[in-house]
Amino acid sequence: MPRSVQSPGGRLHVQRSNRRSTRMLGLLIGLVLVAAACGSSDSDSDSPSSAEDDAAAGDVSGAINVSGSSTVEPVTARAAELFNDNVSNDVEITVDGPGTGDGFQLFCLGETDISDASRAIKEAEAADCEANGISYVELLVAFDGIAVMTHPDNAITCVNYGDLYALLGPEADGFGNWAEAQAIADELGTTNTFPDASLDITAPGTESGTYDSFIEIVLEGIGEQRLGEDADTFIRTDIAGQAEDNVIIQGVSGSGSSLGWVGFAFAAENADAVKVLEVDDGQSGCIAPTIDTIADGSYPVSRPLYIYVNTERAATDDGLVQFVDYYFGDAYIDSVTRAFGDTGYVALPDDLLAATQAAWEGR
Amino acid sequence: MALGTLGDRRTKDRVAREIMNRKADPTGALFQVAVLFALLLALAILVLLLQDVVRGSWPVLSERPGDFLSAELRTRADETGVFQPLRGTFWIGVFVVVLAFPIGIGAAIYLEEYATDNRFSRFVDLNIRNLAGVPSVVYGILGFTIFVRFADGFFPGSVGDHAGKTTAAAGVTLAVLVLPIVIITSSEAIRAVPRELRDGAFGMGATKSQAIRSQILPYAAPGILTGTLLSLTRALGEAAPLILVGAVTGKLGPNTGFLELEQLGEKFTALPITIANFAGRPGEDWEQVTSAAIVVLLVMVLMANAVAILLRNRYEKKRR
Repeated sequence: MPRSVQSPGGRLHVQRSNRRSTRMLGLLIGLVLVAAACGSSDSDSDSPSSAEDDAAAGDVSGAINVSGSSTVEPVTARAAELFNDNVSNDVEITVDGPGTGDGFQLFCLGETDISDASRAIKEAEAADCEANGISYVELLVAFDGIAVMTHPDNAITCVNYGDLYALLGPEADGFGNWAEAQAIADELGTTNTFPDASLDITAPGTESGTYDSFIEIVLEGIGEQRLGEDADTFIRTDIAGQAEDNVIIQGVSGSGSSLGWVGFAFAAENADAVKVLEVDDGQSGCIAPTIDTIADGSYPVSRPLYIYVNTERAATDDGLVQFVDYYFGDAYIDSVTRAFGDTGYVALPDDLLAATQAAWEGR
Repeated sequence: MALGTLGDRRTKDRVAREIMNRKADPTGALFQVAVLFALLLALAILVLLLQDVVRGSWPVLSERPGDFLSAELRTRADETGVFQPLRGTFWIGVFVVVLAFPIGIGAAIYLEEYATDNRFSRFVDLNIRNLAGVPSVVYGILGFTIFVRFADGFFPGSVGDHAGKTTAAAGVTLAVLVLPIVIITSSEAIRAVPRELRDGAFGMGATKSQAIRSQILPYAAPGILTGTLLSLTRALGEAAPLILVGAVTGKLGPNTGFLELEQLGEKFTALPITIANFAGRPGEDWEQVTSAAIVVLLVMVLMANAVAILLRNRYEKKRR
């Protein structure tokens, strides 16, 4: 009895609810499609149906995966862009920049074809590659020089690592005057007498490789000796970082007793506004950064930038070979010296570039 | 009786006193000013943020809006665009809608309508609530260890290099990230359905599933929609998990179209990642490009919110 009453009413309900839920579902699907259609109008202009071209392209095609240093990322990305623009658009090149260490990890697993690096491969990483049967060739790309600067009015012309540690190390936290750093500098054997003037520091932002490299090359050694290897930081924490290199130049040229550091290219461009200091690493005396001293390695505050290429992959992949050829050929100057648009890194002198090319040919 | 009238008079007096005194209530007035100030401050910060971003983006969005939306990532600020990150973020949204919404709403229906109140269901409920509070980076690690490896070879073309770091892996990771939020908001919406409605449906002789489909879900729809679409906007804005799943920053190779399914098995990038990457590059023109990318993401999120509001209004009207 109850059943016979239920079924007509119940069915009615079901039907109506079905209609409702279908409408709801339809609405959702409609929305997705509308959004998709909006998007697809964007894509039309962009994707020149690369899939269809693939079949026709007799030249080179394939995919190249690059990962590694974020410092080198713009150089390789620029070279890849130029390669796609001028040589072949059928080679899909992806460039990522999670960091040198992460890059080698992927490289030694065979997941990437090229690894960008802002230092040479470590022994442990090389062992990793060997264990996985990954053979590679190391190619020097450029130098990343760091210029230490002050105002032209400042009498100081040369600083050693001890001076810089006294002025910029963690023990200098709160120092607002050059003279305050004298005691530590004396302890570390300085030959400079710091002026009794305000210490106005303009430094790169913490996110930049220039910031990290400066700490690593200049401050870390002395910091480890004085504070132990486990110290939280090897740089004073009261520095306001500037993301924009031009602002750093402005800051340094804006005060008569300023101090700062920036990528070499920027300092060289503004040689009239700032005084680039010579740096003494305690071994080879005071050396001013120039393209030559950076290129030959005698200027201490610089680091080499590399790419590592999987040679096994290169033996079978013509696209990879053409890309690396182009990287150190037509694309080289543009991608290295104008990696960021207006500025970039120090290109290799001819003999070192020739050496890199020879290393690539002899892989 | 006499006592009653006396009581009534007292109440009346008290009410009268309350009404008379309202004008001279300094603490109340102060409170009102304080909350108004809180509202204005919140609004001011939002307006400031918006106008800063919009003004910063103006040179890019006024000069080359179409180009900016359709161009790939480039190393030159005046050539770069957000086509690829926009595409990635869109597909992540699709994954959330397709995976997290039905699964989440389904789980909520089970928890509210079928599960009996025992130790196990309470334990599940507690865990879902805790999961909603887990930092998104943790989901990124989960996504990396499970979905990146799972997706290896799952989609055509994803075998081999960089295998699992795909749009699909990112989409599934973010769908899982918002799943607890979808379950919680849907549960709450279902719980708010009046008891009479349920009883009425059963009284008409409806079965449980009929009652759920015909009465409970339509009534709860506005609440469910608001909650789920808000969780979608959360997914669209996440960056941290995508770093771990492997969003690309420098140059993204595959040039698939916006809607080609093939890209689900390819490397990806997304708007939040691109914004962070643009922001780190030097020069004023990169600042403008960063602002423009932020505007694109904001418009996308606001669109999702607008859809949520529209749908909610629609279903609320129906409910009456």
